[in-house]
Amino acid sequence: MSHLSEDRFDQLVSAERARDGATLNSWETIARRAREEGLIRESHPKRWTGSPWLRAAAAVVILAGGISIGRWSFAASDLSSAGQPSPSAPVASATPASFSTVEEAWATLDRASADYQSASAFLAANNNQAPGVNDSLSMYRARLAALEQLMNATVTARENAPRDPVINQYYLAALGAREATAQQLGAVRPASNLRLKGF
Amino acid sequence: MLIDQLDLRRAISGDERALQRLWSQHAPHIDAVVGRLCGDPELAADISQEVWMQIFRALPSYRGDSQFGTWAHRIAVNRTLNALRKIRRIAKLEVDIEDDSALVEPDTDRTFIAESIEQAMTRLSPGARAVFVLHDIEGYTHGEIGAELGITSGGSKSQLFKARAKLRKLLAHLVDESTSVAGKAHVAPV
Repeated sequence: MSHLSEDRFDQLVSAERARDGATLNSWETIARRAREEGLIRESHPKRWTGSPWLRAAAAVVILAGGISIGRWSFAASDLSSAGQPSPSAPVASATPASFSTVEEAWATLDRASADYQSASAFLAANNNQAPGVNDSLSMYRARLAALEQLMNATVTARENAPRDPVINQYYLAALGAREATAQQLGAVRPASNLRLKGF
Repeated sequence: MLIDQLDLRRAISGDERALQRLWSQHAPHIDAVVGRLCGDPELAADISQEVWMQIFRALPSYRGDSQFGTWAHRIAVNRTLNALRKIRRIAKLEVDIEDDSALVEPDTDRTFIAESIEQAMTRLSPGARAVFVLHDIEGYTHGEIGAELGITSGGSKSQLFKARAKLRKLLAHLVDESTSVAGKAHVAPV
């Protein structure tokens, strides 16, 4: 019986070596197994079904986080005029802004910070549809309590990862939001009645 | 292929999309290795699942010392060989080394015409196939193969020689065809 030549055989082996076949399973099959073994984390689409105050506080944290980071970081930069709101800058834009430099992004963030604070102060003084004083008190207290929890968590996290930018971002966000909330609470209640821990 | 560190962290934390990206990038090669070693598509599919679970479980231990594909490939080979041992498909290997089983031609081989080397490999004994795949396809040394299969380096060489001889025989018609075609091309017109 004849044999394939060594050269021809080596060519076939070489071609086989380069061949990647089709996958043996679908991703759905693999994912099902991985899920059964706990290797895939179950998603929680309704994560915020709990306290609406916590949700509100988180929203404040996210917004104030950017503001705080912008103010904190930008204070160290050379762009001394960036803290002033730009007359030409829109208060709100339907289209996402685009940036070409980090400095430009920080400048925009700082402008947004100033705008946010101005708008918050204006609404606090003039919004007729705002809840009554008692409602405001309870709302601010709940927000402050939630922010205290966030602060405690981020302070602990910073002890373990002091240079982690994500942890620091949330720490600064919680810090800024708590300061803003304390000020708002102070506006509807004498400051002497406030008891802030670790501020 | 480089793996994105952020993607890796996400995969370790159980992010399905990150895990799927890893699988999509590397499954064609990993599954090809598993398929060649098994020689049986259904068995290979089952073992491939085990291989991928093992890769996912071991992700936290990946230190980036080697490319991710190389690291995952090693897991695939080890896991596949272990699985084959468990189902006693490779238990005959030591016996195969001592006899000429790789050269034995069952009657069915006489009528079997392999269309490709992949098809021809299915006619090898599990041990001979493992040695051939690991050495000629995957580039393992005989020393590494010996360590993987628990045989000597000489045993690996012997098995490879027999495997190649059998494959060349099973694929002989390919050279016959090309020879005959070439022969016809060289026939001078009358």
